[in-house]
Amino acid sequence: MVVMDVTSTKPLRTNKEDYLIAWLTALAISVHIIEAAFPSPLPGVKPGLANVVTVAALILFGWGTAAWVGFLRVLVGSLLVGTFLSPTFALSLAGATASIAVLGIAKALPGVVFGPVGYCVLAAMAHMAAQFGAAYVLFIPHQGLFSLLPVLMTAALVFGLVSGFITKSAITYINDRKA
Amino acid sequence: MTKADAVVVFLALSLLLLLYSRYWIGTNAGETARILIPGEPEIEIPLEQDREYTIKGTLGESKIAVNAGRIRFVNSPCTTKQCVLSGWLQNSGAFAACLPNRISLLVAGKALRFDTINF
Repeated sequence: MVVMDVTSTKPLRTNKEDYLIAWLTALAISVHIIEAAFPSPLPGVKPGLANVVTVAALILFGWGTAAWVGFLRVLVGSLLVGTFLSPTFALSLAGATASIAVLGIAKALPGVVFGPVGYCVLAAMAHMAAQFGAAYVLFIPHQGLFSLLPVLMTAALVFGLVSGFITKSAITYINDRKA
Repeated sequence: MTKADAVVVFLALSLLLLLYSRYWIGTNAGETARILIPGEPEIEIPLEQDREYTIKGTLGESKIAVNAGRIRFVNSPCTTKQCVLSGWLQNSGAFAACLPNRISLLVAGKALRFDTINF
């Protein structure tokens, strides 16, 4: 009979990219939590400044890193705020999945070059649309919910533009420091 | 901002315009009205032709009029006349009831504006 020794484990190998993702995720989570402390005028509406980190990661390090940062942020952020597996988490996950997918498509489009503003607007709109879709399908399947959609998408566009310009200046700053 | 960014912002703005016109401005006129009487099959009447209907309820006869795609209680044998005070109903999902006479009206269209209303 073979007895498995569960205590002896291989040392977990980490590489430079893991540290990069961990640092970026930590930054995104910090922004997420600071933002969670502010009251929101409408459920589902918040600036989503953590998106700045995701989009900056997309531009500086590629889609893989951005996807890791985006998903880990939702997961760990929800654990810290206390919404893990709650309805809020379902909406957040739906939004993150959609925005990361859209960012991947936008990045892969041949011959089209987006800047931070384009990426942020795309991500914010995709996030809001998916969040709305999930809210409609999972929680409130009522026609009346659609009256909110124009307002929510307006908020998404405004906050997408704001985080786009923040991302732009952040990237300029990083590139200046590198040079 | 790159050219692609400007296109994205433009498309987002057009989407917003579309959403506002679809969900905020678009009228939701009803096509038919349903008259609901407990214990009896509901009566569906078209809102295209103007005419008056007399419906028998628990207390007596309620008069209902259709005019220019709208419908209302004209008279009912109740004391408070809440049904008559509801006035003309036009939008899909609009509702008026004469509870004492146990007759209610529901305007129906492509999409219901409300699914239930509590008083």
